[in-house]
Amino acid sequence: MTEPDTVDATLRALLADVLGLGEDRAAALTDDSGLFGALPEFDSMAVATVLTEMEDRLGILIDDDEIDGEIFESYGNLLAFSLRKVTD
Amino acid sequence: MSAPEHTLHITPTGTPRATILFVPPLFDEANRTRRTLVLAMRALGADGFATLLPDLPGQNESLVPLEQADLANWQSALADAAATINGPLIIASLRGGALIDHHAKAAAWWRLAPVSGAALLRTLMRARVAADREAGLTSSLDSLQAESATALLILAGNLLSPAMMGQLGSAEVEPVAPLRTVTLGSGADAIAGTPLWLRAEPGEDSTMAAAIAADIAAWSTTCGIS
Repeated sequence: MTEPDTVDATLRALLADVLGLGEDRAAALTDDSGLFGALPEFDSMAVATVLTEMEDRLGILIDDDEIDGEIFESYGNLLAFSLRKVTD
Repeated sequence: MSAPEHTLHITPTGTPRATILFVPPLFDEANRTRRTLVLAMRALGADGFATLLPDLPGQNESLVPLEQADLANWQSALADAAATINGPLIIASLRGGALIDHHAKAAAWWRLAPVSGAALLRTLMRARVAADREAGLTSSLDSLQAESATALLILAGNLLSPAMMGQLGSAEVEPVAPLRTVTLGSGADAIAGTPLWLRAEPGEDSTMAAAIAADIAAWSTTCGIS
């Protein structure tokens, strides 16, 4: 339903909102950009906020057992997870 | 509950056109938005409105332990605060504040980006699950939910009672009238701005504060209040 480009743009906007990255830093994220553990703003509360906003903005539901540390390791992992969820 | 809570008042010079009672977002979202809310209050003050921002019991400077608070007593605390105001009153609520603003009596209501209690609770529980995972502990939304039925639970630094957890889980925004609900974005029922309540670190948005003030002032005029 949601196109890959839209998912990418939605995810970047969401991270900009939650982490206060600003448009430039959000646009500069690559697949290899580290998130949890790499960005000081990305704490456990930010993880929680990102998950709830992903559900809201991408129209998906995320179960506890789908979430492991790897999803938040890099922007590429988070994007791949989101794309998989919206096409489910 | 006990002594009156601290309330931030900003009063205009001369007789106020009306009074705006701000209901802050709940928990950490209140800290993230307070600065911008106060900027909006100052702008309304310059426009002739009296504004107040009360502390909810257990929040901000309150001496009440948070575990003694729940949505029901927040609703009555706001109703009490509203009852002390002379002249026309508009209640302006942000986010989770919209879940507790309907017991107060007012001439009009204004809500920005209202959110369900379940969504707030889910985020709080997820923060706990993420923190537990970092600490090598295993918890889940289900296990926390079960635990919360009989015990106090710490979620993202908030010590919450079974009553608070139960009420939050089922709280929805209630109908009030006349009501204007605005979201962030563009269009007739939106204001431009950033969702500061989501932000990991507190920020401020003076443009959004000015837009909040202008929208509330226009709503007051629309309702025939001033």
